[in-house]
Amino acid sequence: ELPPSHFPAGRAAAVAVGYLRYLRGGPGRGLELRALRRARRQDIDDVGHKYCLELELEDVLDKGRTVSCTAEVLYHLGSKSTAPDVQVTVQGELRSTEEADKEFYNRIRSLEKELVAENIPDSHGNVPPELEPIHLLAWAASGYVTWQNSTENTKFHLAQVKHVKQVKRSDEDLQFDYVLLLHEMVSQEVIPWELSVLWHPQRGARVSRERRQPGHA
Amino acid sequence: ANMKLILIFSALIGASLCLETFVGHQVLRIKTKNEKEVKQLQLLESLEHLELDFWINPSASALPVDVRIPAVSVQSVKAFLESQGIEYSILIEDLQDVLDKEKQDMAESAQRQRSSSSFDFGAYHTLDDINNELDLLASEYSFVEKIQIGESYEKRPLYVLKFSTGGSNRPAIWLDAGIHSREWVTQASALWIANKIASDYGTDASITSLLDKMDLFLLPVANPDGFVYTHTWNRMWRKTRSKIPGSICVGVDPNRNWDAGFGGPGASNKPCSDSYHGPSANSEVEVKSVVDFIKNHGNFKAFLTLHSYSQLLMYPYGYKCTRPDDYAELESLGRAAASSIQSLYGTTFQVGTICKTIYQASGGSIDWSYDNGIKYSFAFELRDTGRYGFLLPANQIIPAAKETWLGLKKIMEHVRD
Repeated sequence: ELPPSHFPAGRAAAVAVGYLRYLRGGPGRGLELRALRRARRQDIDDVGHKYCLELELEDVLDKGRTVSCTAEVLYHLGSKSTAPDVQVTVQGELRSTEEADKEFYNRIRSLEKELVAENIPDSHGNVPPELEPIHLLAWAASGYVTWQNSTENTKFHLAQVKHVKQVKRSDEDLQFDYVLLLHEMVSQEVIPWELSVLWHPQRGARVSRERRQPGHA
Repeated sequence: ANMKLILIFSALIGASLCLETFVGHQVLRIKTKNEKEVKQLQLLESLEHLELDFWINPSASALPVDVRIPAVSVQSVKAFLESQGIEYSILIEDLQDVLDKEKQDMAESAQRQRSSSSFDFGAYHTLDDINNELDLLASEYSFVEKIQIGESYEKRPLYVLKFSTGGSNRPAIWLDAGIHSREWVTQASALWIANKIASDYGTDASITSLLDKMDLFLLPVANPDGFVYTHTWNRMWRKTRSKIPGSICVGVDPNRNWDAGFGGPGASNKPCSDSYHGPSANSEVEVKSVVDFIKNHGNFKAFLTLHSYSQLLMYPYGYKCTRPDDYAELESLGRAAASSIQSLYGTTFQVGTICKTIYQASGGSIDWSYDNGIKYSFAFELRDTGRYGFLLPANQIIPAAKETWLGLKKIMEHVRD
């Protein structure tokens, strides 16, 4: 049994939330951890460390409501290159994003010029309303990066969308190429990360390419 | 002698003018030596056409006689006094000059009054604007003083606001913000808190009794070089801006540079790292200045420092994972403070030692202060928990400051008592 206020449980929770944010988040939904209720750790010989978590999540666009979750995060022993295994079960319903998703999709599809933006939020924490879905989509995609790159010695957060460029496609997906700044809490580094994100109202968000930006000091 | 007097001055009757300005008017201070001289001045006083304006009337007392003399009469009055051997000195050379200066002072003061209360605490400001506001607070409140405790690497002054209602080296509380420059909500909150304390002294019972017994020293921008850098070049800059010998990288993590487990786990020895501890403990002038100030003062009872983000309220240790001797009291006080914070907007802060709550980190400020006898050492990590992180929207500054203040106040009240 782990104290929820201590960092080992907190880091595992961040992985679980990142994973779920990627799976269920998008331009109309931003999932965030409201509370970590309970955490247990199991050391499995020759395998790794498994964390069992009870979480409370909320959608930042629907703050009155929380959803309970159970999650398992398995960090593989000694492996720096394998992502932790994550399983999450959500109890309860999240607010529907159907309307918002459709509206965002149509708005972007009807742009004459590809969308380009930078510094979201800006230095003062401002996000122009029309860019909020772009910010939330980035946040969802950053969940993938968090999940794929976390160990028991890291904790990632999205610090800022440094740059985003829409890429027009011949199929029905929207594509945004992002440069995100990820803040890694343990080393305190802010790391630029390049990723391509595909999104569609029914198919949700998919990260098609991601890498740490080369040449970063 | 009386006749002579009347003769001399009657010539001046026609010269009296009714002026609206006081250009060339002089104020003389006359020291009478005996009753005869007093009587002569009283005669002078009776000559109304001279329009002498006695600020202190001639009398038998030991008081000097102060009189304002219109420009046209100045030379004649002086000639008379000299001829009678009556001693005088010039208090005011030209009254209009003095009035002009006073008018200017008042206008500036009124301007300052408007500015001080019109400072937007709900917005992020530049270093210059912050320093300006510190000046305004110091000039507006008699018990607030701006002092300089040192200079940054790039020679910017390190300004501390001293809140003191008297006494001599009273037991004191230390509060700093912005040691990590990208944590903008902390410098902004410190300004709000400074204004809150200053304006509530005398009306809020708790603040009043606190400052009646203790002094408070507030350093709102502990890392001014880094702060300017976050405005001009890189919003995500954390460290100082010191040149590191033998490296192309710049800056030391000032919260790994204190002499507490220096160089141990949780700090990097690589200059390019954001948690680089520096070549040696206190190598950073920003850290050394605070250390020297606190040591020289010798009577600090609490050391409180603001960081962001994560919503945590922590006490020592960071450099080792064992509990401090005062664990029970600090844990209990921390919980009480977190509870106060939560009471306002429901914001939850986790409480615990640095090592258990966030990570093992050596060379931290509150470990140093605690190991140097300052029992009530706490580090706050303010809003939020990661949605905006360092880029907390400005509309959250005042809520963050308000809730944080409740936590700080809880700790300060405990220290006071």
